[in-house]
Amino acid sequence: MTAPRRLEGKRCLITGGSRGLGRAIALAFARHGARVAFTFRKNQGDADDTAAALRAAGCEPLVFQGSVSDAAHVQATVKAVVAAWQGLDVLVNNAGTTQILPVALIEEEDWDAVMDTSAKGAFLFSRAALRTMIRARSGHILNIGSFASERVIEAPIHYAAAKSALRGLTEALAREVGRYDIKVNLLSPGLLDVGLAQILPRHRIDEYVSQAAFGRLGSADEVAELAAFLVSPDNSFMTGAKIVADGGL
Amino acid sequence: MTAEATDEARLVHRTTSLCRVCKNALPADVVATAGGEVWMRKACPHHGAQDVRLSTDAAWYEETRAIKQHAAPPRIRHKTIDLGCPFDCGPCDAHGQKVRLPVVTITSACNLDCPICYVHNKNDDAYHMDVDDFTRILHHLRDDHGGELDIVNITGGEPTLHPQLLDLIELAHREGIHRVTVCSNGLRLARDEELVRRLAAVDARVALSFDSFERDADYLLQGAHLLATKQRCMELLEKHGVSTTLIPVMTRGVNDHEVGALIAYGLGKRNVRHLEIHTITYTGQGGVHFDRAGRISMYEVLQRIEETTAGLLGPADFVPSPCAHPLCYQIAYLLIDPDGGPPIPFTRFLARDELYRALSDRLYMEPTPGLEAVMRDAIDRLWADGGADAERILRLLRRMLDDMFPTDRALTRREALAAGERAVKAIYVHSHMDEETFDTERAMDCCDSNCYPDGTTIPVCNYNVLYREKEAHFNREPAVWNERSGGHRLTLRVMP
Repeated sequence: MTAPRRLEGKRCLITGGSRGLGRAIALAFARHGARVAFTFRKNQGDADDTAAALRAAGCEPLVFQGSVSDAAHVQATVKAVVAAWQGLDVLVNNAGTTQILPVALIEEEDWDAVMDTSAKGAFLFSRAALRTMIRARSGHILNIGSFASERVIEAPIHYAAAKSALRGLTEALAREVGRYDIKVNLLSPGLLDVGLAQILPRHRIDEYVSQAAFGRLGSADEVAELAAFLVSPDNSFMTGAKIVADGGL
Repeated sequence: MTAEATDEARLVHRTTSLCRVCKNALPADVVATAGGEVWMRKACPHHGAQDVRLSTDAAWYEETRAIKQHAAPPRIRHKTIDLGCPFDCGPCDAHGQKVRLPVVTITSACNLDCPICYVHNKNDDAYHMDVDDFTRILHHLRDDHGGELDIVNITGGEPTLHPQLLDLIELAHREGIHRVTVCSNGLRLARDEELVRRLAAVDARVALSFDSFERDADYLLQGAHLLATKQRCMELLEKHGVSTTLIPVMTRGVNDHEVGALIAYGLGKRNVRHLEIHTITYTGQGGVHFDRAGRISMYEVLQRIEETTAGLLGPADFVPSPCAHPLCYQIAYLLIDPDGGPPIPFTRFLARDELYRALSDRLYMEPTPGLEAVMRDAIDRLWADGGADAERILRLLRRMLDDMFPTDRALTRREALAAGERAVKAIYVHSHMDEETFDTERAMDCCDSNCYPDGTTIPVCNYNVLYREKEAHFNREPAVWNERSGGHRLTLRVMP
């Protein structure tokens, strides 16, 4: 049986797409027939690897380097994507950052950096993308949250706060732009085999696995597949939702 | 040495020791003298009364001995009790600790003949452990003693003379060992930069014997003038970023006054992770005949450290290892200032019992729940209560966390461990036993064992004192029970 291609021809932009879950989402979207653009901040090598993987999957990506909290970069990126593809169907606000720090060691600049990347970045990119989506009277915005804001677990407070902010942004924006048939949802993955799990101490991972109904970490690919469904035409009635994929924590 | 234990001495505890001549088991009294020292008193029916000083400070000895270690016995026993400790090693049913520091002796060959050598080696028809045997040992360690291993220590002889050393190191990493250390005298490393480069490539840690900066002491302890060689070796290890542990052997009146300089040297080198300071033991091919005036106790080493580090470290900055007998290991951790400020002992912001708890059941500091909990409490306390050095300590802890958990990429566990060990260095003082100081109470709680392919493990002091001298792998004429061997010279040949 041929796997479904849920995103055939869809024009998709993913922030923080060069590694981890962002990269998995980019590749999943390509498998589903999408045109893929992604942004990255620092690591050119990772971006090159992801671009090469996308090309190998038959997708010629658009790649942009910059900070999601830099309004000029955001404007330029969206403008370039729209210019290249004459529109934008899907935005995934995936870029995020965290630090493993207790409250005593979190300085003001740490707070700002984490909030800027997750919350402000999602706002800036959403606002820029919406101008195109509203004109088109359709679109999908998918914000990538975290189990850190969904369950009572220990998480760095700035990270948890930023991800919680995304929930509020998702719910309010979904209500505001629903009249244009633009869906805005929040996907909150649990601990995955990429990203945070790579820097957590082993006992933290073991604790997570022991608490999860499935007794394992999630894979980036299975969350990426879920993301592909959420931004596809198959999702025609879900907006303002938070979808938790954490293996049953 | 003159026996100072008098009839007025107070009994501290009774144990089983060995005769220094025939090595038969003897009942021994450990007593505190009126002068505040601790002595072991025993008498062999054939070789007479034997007294040896165990500590110059009875209060420290008793307080330290009273600390209860974490009980973690081995999963599988290889010997039933027959003759009693230390003659049933395997481990036997009475042994209290699983192996935390596995020692794998991969070769009998050595290119040096140190007067203080406490083992037996041979170069004629030298023994080299094969890869299959090494693999079997790793599997036994995992299955018989449980789970992940913090470390495997590869030793000899001189392990760099083993033709498949690099293969063995890679194999240990593939089996999930966190740290693979290679003991070395540094001779080959100092003139074989390519080998140093390859050791770096396989992420080996070199445990370099480094006893002295002084020409006479150097010669007395190692039988050769090696300071320039050791320094060249250190240059190459540093150049190629090979994680290094320095291992000085402390000998009273010979190099104990240098311990502070050795510590400063190690703390100042970016690639040095730990210092492991040993006390001299009088066993093996060299040690048997070394001057007994050099015997030094654990507490004396801690005192010398205090005297020679200008207050940086003192006895109160050390805690015993929770997974060894408390008289065997003392450990201090120091927070390193990358900007060159003085290191900060952990005991300046943690109570000693907190530090002991932070080590939980590990011989080396690992990111355990216990460590995390203790460090978080300490950070909160420093932040809330302030204090003289609080800002600086918090700044250093923050830098350590930034190095271990960078935001722009995920480090591998090995990279994170290395980053942590650059920020926090440990100083271990490890007191081995010989025939004269042997105490079965310590041997039964030992976590530091020589390992065999059939799963047998023998605590290293038992191994060095009783077992190795009887193995044909390491002796041209293996000893038999009821005799003491050693005091011979190694046949040295031109080696690579």
